[in-house]
Amino acid sequence: MSAADPAVRIRVEGLGKRYRGEWVLDGIDLAFRAGEVVGLVGPGGHGKSVLLKHLPRLLDADRGRVVIDGHVLGTLRAFELARVRERFGYVFQNYALFDFMTVGDNIAFPLRQLAAKVRPDAAQILARVHQRLADVGLAHAFAQFPRELSGGMKKRVGLARATIADPEITLYDDPSAGLDPVTSSKIFALIDAMHRRVPTATTVVVSHDLDRMRAVCHRWVMIERGKVVFDGVTEAIAQASEVVRRFFGEAFS
Amino acid sequence: MSAVSGFFASIGQAVLNLLRTFGGACLLLGRVIRSLFPPRFDVHETWRQLYHVGVRSAPIVAVTALFVGAIMVLQSAYFVKRTGATSLLGYGVGFTVFAEVGPILIGLMFSGRVGANNTAELGTMVVTEQVDALRALAIDPLRYLIVPRFIAMMLMLTLLMVLGDLFAIAGAALTSDALLGVDWRVLVANLIESKLLDELVMGVVKATTFGVAISCISCYFGLSVTGGALGVGRATNNSVVANATAIFMLDFVVGWIYSL
Repeated sequence: MSAADPAVRIRVEGLGKRYRGEWVLDGIDLAFRAGEVVGLVGPGGHGKSVLLKHLPRLLDADRGRVVIDGHVLGTLRAFELARVRERFGYVFQNYALFDFMTVGDNIAFPLRQLAAKVRPDAAQILARVHQRLADVGLAHAFAQFPRELSGGMKKRVGLARATIADPEITLYDDPSAGLDPVTSSKIFALIDAMHRRVPTATTVVVSHDLDRMRAVCHRWVMIERGKVVFDGVTEAIAQASEVVRRFFGEAFS
Repeated sequence: MSAVSGFFASIGQAVLNLLRTFGGACLLLGRVIRSLFPPRFDVHETWRQLYHVGVRSAPIVAVTALFVGAIMVLQSAYFVKRTGATSLLGYGVGFTVFAEVGPILIGLMFSGRVGANNTAELGTMVVTEQVDALRALAIDPLRYLIVPRFIAMMLMLTLLMVLGDLFAIAGAALTSDALLGVDWRVLVANLIESKLLDELVMGVVKATTFGVAISCISCYFGLSVTGGALGVGRATNNSVVANATAIFMLDFVVGWIYSL
């Protein structure tokens, strides 16, 4: 892939992050293209979520840089960074729903915060929120507060909030963590549906649920000890190193 | 490490922590002020905070002030009875309540109720990634979370101080009438004649500075939380202690400036 590849939306170059003297990310080089769904996998605590948080610059890198469509995130001023972040949708591992807002207000929030000239009117926002709630099977939960919902329902609300503005880049941080298998399947079906809605979007999914990820991911990136140890399609796993094949298991070999 | 060097090390650590808090709160204040010119903050969230901080604090402030006024009368009762100087009761109550006791007690009450709640709420938002979620949605947490709280606390503590002064006078008047046999009209008339406008203004100015300090300190501790629920508890505790310290220090500073 050339540096000028127009399909590349996110470029991660030599990214490094250090916590308490240890490099949790150590020289990560990656490119994420428009329209692909990338599964970011690896053992727990090896830097996947930390890498994900660097993509919209929720964390600042100690080394290297992240470039979104030519914008080097580390050099942007606050309002320029805000414009770039508006292109993201982020589903957090711990839901991160605003607990002082109802479900409806949580989902409407990204639209209501848009600049006045691009913001839909109140009736349009309401209609979109109801539609998105119906899409995730929570039409009845509009007026409920997050504390009244189960873990699976919170995940679906988080997913609806992250995708309500049809973002160009959607990041999912362990969307099935702590959920039962049936609910996990529903969540991955929703991720697939959201990507089909905006097929040009770049989607990155961090998860340990390899079986369910296989149904939605086009490409795999495996991180171990802060380094990329595999980057390729499913068919390439069989030719990968022993460590990678063992991680993905027989189903992928 | 010997006991002596350990003692000095702990003092040094305490001073460093104090300076870190002071510096952090001052930097936050600077960023808040910068966001106010031109005004860039969420109006809806500001109204919500004004209600939570002000309206819901009014009952506790009123009750506190009512008893502050009553206590001042009780404390003066011995001398009033002994000297028969009932005409000075209004002045005595007004002077102490408006300038000193009222602002400090209402400030401490506000800090305990609103400041601690603010630190815990922001801290919980940090550990549950709600603050990260705001940033991921391209929203500046300073403008959405901090500036509305700053405006609400500064404005509402000032207004609550005025409300508190009124309730303190009511408490003093009721107590003097019921327990000392001094007609409440005598106390109120004496209070008006005493021309305590300077003391009244000083008390309100103190309340405004307390509001600024409580908002900056409680927000600073809330946003600095690390380490989950334990961290939220620790930050809330530190915030209450720092707010109380700031209230006494600012009370001294404002009083000193007025005395010049």
